[in-house]
Amino acid sequence: MSGEVRVDPVLVSILGRGLKAITDEMSIAMEKTTRSPILCEARDYVTGLYDGAGRMLEQTENLPILSFSLGPVCRHIVERFRGDIHPGDVFFHNDVFSLGNQNNDVAVFKPIFAPAPAASGAEPVLVGWAACKGHQADIGGAVRGGYNPDATEVWQEALRIPAVKIYDRGVLRRDVWDLIFANIRLKSVQEDMKAEIGSCTVGERRLLALVDKLGLERFEAHKLALFEATRRMMAAEVRSMPDGVYRGESVVYYDGKHEGQRYVIRVEVTIDGERIRFDYSKTDPQTRGFVNGTFTSSASATVLTFLQMVNPAMPHNEGMLGPIEIVIPEGTILNAAYPAATTYGNHLCPSNADAIVRALGPALPERVTAGWNHLLCSLTTGPDPRRGDTYVDILFMGLKGGSGATSDCDGYDHIGMIDASGGVLDQDYEMFEQMTPHLIEKHEYLVDSAGAGQYRGGLGVETRYRVGSDGTQLVVFGDGDVEPAFGLGGGGAGTLNKIELAYPDGRVYRTKGLDIVREVPAGTRYLQLAGGGGGYGSPLLRPAELVRDEVRDGVVSLAAAREQYGVALDPDTLALRADETARLRARAAAPAPGVGAAQRGG
Amino acid sequence: MSTTVPALATSRVGIDVGGTFTDLFLWSAGGEVLSAKVPTTPADPSIGVVDGLGALALLRGVALAELVAHTSAIVHGTTVTTNATLTRRGAKTGLVTTEGVRDALEMRRGIREERYDNRQKNVKPLVPRHLRLPVRERVDAHGAELVPLSEDDVRRAATLLRAEGVGAVAVCFLNAFANRSHERAAAEVLRAELPGVFVSVSSEVLPTIRFYNRVSTTVLDAYTGPVLRSYLESLTARLAGIGFRGALLIMQSSGGMALPEATLRRPAGTLLSGPAAGPRAALAFTTPHGHSSAVVCDMGGTSFDASLLRDGAVELKTEGEIDRLRVALPMLDIVTIGAGGGSLGWIDPGGLLRMGPESAGAMPGPACYGRGGERPTCTDANVALGFLDPAYFAGGRMPLHAERALRAIETHLAGPLGLSVEEAAAGMYRVINANMTHGVREITVKRGVDPRELPLVVAGGAGGLHACAIAGELEMTSVVVPAGASVLCAVGMLLADLQHDFVRSFMAPLATLVPAALAAVVGEMTSEGDELLRHEGIARGAAVHEVALDLRYLKQYHEVTVPVPAAELAPLDRAAIARRFHAEHDRLYGYELAGEGTGIELINVRVRALGRTEKPALPQRAPGGADPGHAGKGSRRAYVPARGAFAAVPVFDGHALRAGNVVAGPALVERTDTTVLVDEGWRAIVDELGSYLVERLAGGAA
Repeated sequence: MSGEVRVDPVLVSILGRGLKAITDEMSIAMEKTTRSPILCEARDYVTGLYDGAGRMLEQTENLPILSFSLGPVCRHIVERFRGDIHPGDVFFHNDVFSLGNQNNDVAVFKPIFAPAPAASGAEPVLVGWAACKGHQADIGGAVRGGYNPDATEVWQEALRIPAVKIYDRGVLRRDVWDLIFANIRLKSVQEDMKAEIGSCTVGERRLLALVDKLGLERFEAHKLALFEATRRMMAAEVRSMPDGVYRGESVVYYDGKHEGQRYVIRVEVTIDGERIRFDYSKTDPQTRGFVNGTFTSSASATVLTFLQMVNPAMPHNEGMLGPIEIVIPEGTILNAAYPAATTYGNHLCPSNADAIVRALGPALPERVTAGWNHLLCSLTTGPDPRRGDTYVDILFMGLKGGSGATSDCDGYDHIGMIDASGGVLDQDYEMFEQMTPHLIEKHEYLVDSAGAGQYRGGLGVETRYRVGSDGTQLVVFGDGDVEPAFGLGGGGAGTLNKIELAYPDGRVYRTKGLDIVREVPAGTRYLQLAGGGGGYGSPLLRPAELVRDEVRDGVVSLAAAREQYGVALDPDTLALRADETARLRARAAAPAPGVGAAQRGG
Repeated sequence: MSTTVPALATSRVGIDVGGTFTDLFLWSAGGEVLSAKVPTTPADPSIGVVDGLGALALLRGVALAELVAHTSAIVHGTTVTTNATLTRRGAKTGLVTTEGVRDALEMRRGIREERYDNRQKNVKPLVPRHLRLPVRERVDAHGAELVPLSEDDVRRAATLLRAEGVGAVAVCFLNAFANRSHERAAAEVLRAELPGVFVSVSSEVLPTIRFYNRVSTTVLDAYTGPVLRSYLESLTARLAGIGFRGALLIMQSSGGMALPEATLRRPAGTLLSGPAAGPRAALAFTTPHGHSSAVVCDMGGTSFDASLLRDGAVELKTEGEIDRLRVALPMLDIVTIGAGGGSLGWIDPGGLLRMGPESAGAMPGPACYGRGGERPTCTDANVALGFLDPAYFAGGRMPLHAERALRAIETHLAGPLGLSVEEAAAGMYRVINANMTHGVREITVKRGVDPRELPLVVAGGAGGLHACAIAGELEMTSVVVPAGASVLCAVGMLLADLQHDFVRSFMAPLATLVPAALAAVVGEMTSEGDELLRHEGIARGAAVHEVALDLRYLKQYHEVTVPVPAAELAPLDRAAIARRFHAEHDRLYGYELAGEGTGIELINVRVRALGRTEKPALPQRAPGGADPGHAGKGSRRAYVPARGAFAAVPVFDGHALRAGNVVAGPALVERTDTTVLVDEGWRAIVDELGSYLVERLAGGAA
């Protein structure tokens, strides 16, 4: 019957716009009502709509790493509960062994039923799903906050929630609710899950109004046309890329167990006409610790890296995925087999992105960026003696380094890891000092952190605070402390990440990439350096005036201007010494390596 | 004065300086109203203001000097601070801030708005890094001094800033909302060291928690201060030069007005001065129909603005952005999208028809203007659809080239899409309506307001053609196209009150806060407001005060502003305040936690001091019966959206219609400043002010 509906191309545009408005509205509801700063300040959540079969209609991805994390689970629920999905049902899900991406990312799925035509007497029809997934501040397991570097199995990390009905035909399953939250430390997680349900209710109401306005058959026909238009748009992008097989790799340096151990991510990208395939078959086996990806987290990393190489106006629906194929064998570090620990999986995204960029850089020099700074993060908990209470904080302001430069644009300063791409925000300093007992001493751009280049990398930051109470605990996870963000086309590398504690007794401790530091006393000085991104093109080609301006602004030192950029300045007036600069640059000029000759180490 | 010339009644004039046109609206005590539109003079907008007054004098048939001599007040909305910010032509500005955090201004908390666009650049900060100068000082989160202010550092900063020749300095220290003393001392040194330099201090501009909000707002304040100051000096001199002796009042972003001196205390408060009067004006036109709430839209050449009037008050927000820079001052809550008469139609790589946000602007303008524009715009579609009479555009002063419109649509859209020109034009019309509909949805649904309960007030020259379509899409049943729709903001300026807004951080649990401490803070802000109003001629007893509290559930991050009547403040009625908060949270976000015993905390206290002004009465239109036949201008072939087809559509002369006339859709009502499309299933009733109330008939097409 739906074949008889005439597709109106104008209505297709309007439908796409309407769906985007709904997922945006769902996102605002989350931001304004949640309590954990990870959600309402840093916005670590995604909202989306899917059709009855679980295909993506539209999403609002505050964090790109969540861009691909809901659809597979939606399809899983459709399959697993086939015949048992009813109006008023609500599902919870986080299980990484049924397509979840990370234990802490707990999703709500709500089926949306449209009434059948009045005359037909038929049952309501499943027209779609509203879904929301946010990073919850606690999810049980051995360590508060969820990141357990000692974990070797999922149960040491988190409570597993395979798809479970929390509302059955509109009735709360109080026993199931109690079972779940009896295993989670923070009461506020209940409030934040209510906010997720609220967000889905917003999505449900609005999608129903849209379907009602269009009529079910027209909605279905135009939805398919929207998928097809988006698929064509993505196919045209892929077709414009040169056919070929491209290989790239990157190294993961530490699994939390064995210092010096290395794991290699290897990707083979095949572009063939309008199809592109990412094959990770040659990637190293999984680790024994929690440095492991899940299929969903690794596929998300792949998709978001590729999306940054195509038209940013691409609508985000199932059609966009049509030309893309992703192969990640189970048992690799990017798709660990049951029952491995995997909480770190989202944070393999930067390494995964590096491998893809190294593969595609030579073929697509104008679409890639140089390397981005990787995440190194500290999750801090402890007592706040001022309030007789405890707090949980992720120091977002400290972890955000610079992005890699492109062939015609500097990297973005203090943007943070590629998996968030500027979607995670710093806490406000004054709110931080209200919510934790610590005192901020410094949060500024880090001098000389950007990889030099004709286009420089984004700047990193230096963060210092004074610990305000005894009994502070840091859970550190991330990398970028061994290998800096790489440059491209003759651009230089960024700087390394580092977290260091200077104890009141004079002892100094530099944390490992995966670490738990317990019983940190009041008065300890915390220092974190988030490195810069890689540069693109020879620094000798950067206009000398621009270098001089950045020296004047104090983000490039006099020495770096001279040594890296070949720019000589008067040390007192910072006036440009043109002759000397010309001499320095002539002497340093050497044939610039081509794009793809990625620079390593630093 | 000669006895043969009747004495000119005292007048008031509202003047809205926009990007393209300066709109003026005059009301005289004799009941006369006049409106005029003259080109804006961007280099010095005060020239356009005087030109406009000249145009009014001409319309009134008197000399400029006489008109001005009888003008008691000019209320002025200006975009000088907005434009200075957008074009980066504000003062060279320095920032003096706490050592260690000088980059917060530029970092903007590390956001990149376009997640997938690696070529999006950060916004250039208004103060470059080498002019952001750290000084040693520190107070903690509760206001206790940890490091005394180094006045030497401040003096060193002043020396450097003097050498750099800055015109303005912003001062913003960490936790200054909790203790202002360091900022005050620093400002004193800077004012002494840098005479003539504009100094903005964060604890005066915005004494609330959240450092990034405060530093960004304070820098905007400093950056725009000298521009506003010199503009107001120039305007005052020019007006004095033509003999103006009345009061000059400036619109603020909040929709209230103030004397020039008062606006110079907080220049950032004028960043949305221009459109801020729109909702207040809309109230005058919806009141006759029993509505004190409305959605207010203004469709111009490039952009479409949507705002909200609720219970007779302008809907404000306490945080907004200009060019991706944070401004945390009370400002009109407005959603602006790139949709207007000049919006260009194009085909995206997936083969879908899109409209805007790129605009043909005024030059070259739509293809039908015949000024060299080749690409099809919304206005071209409106010509192709028969909505606009090419011979009667702007009352016939600017004939349109229909054939150029058709050719542009054919070449760029209809041909590639395999549609007829008329189909493509209808598609353009629908897509741009959908874009505007989303703007309205954002200002209503996303803020918890159901648009179906409200009338849609449509202003701007192009609005009348799209009103039924937008309203229908949102299931709204009535539209008001005001008389004077094309100068709505200028009208609104004569309807504004004197207004001063204050906010202070005051953090305490509602259950245990000390009533006397709250009363003291409210009292301080109230007296400050009264003092400003006294200078503006409002007697102490005549001032009105409105208090609102920013509240949230314990440990939430975002707060909700809750107006609280005086009776609940003294004595403090915690239960009543809590009830108001629960209800507001529910309205905004769909749930509340009244039954769960969750604590409530107070974050900020807000006080608004209002001086009510006399409002002009708008003139009444001659009444007539329901039959509009006398105003008929025949009919022409035009598109009827409800039918999705062309038909012979009756056309009426809007200037000839009388109060009570009813025009049944489909019909077109033409005025020199706007054309209204009454779709099939709708009817337009002319009201006593000469506005059109366009209503959907029961069972009419959506």
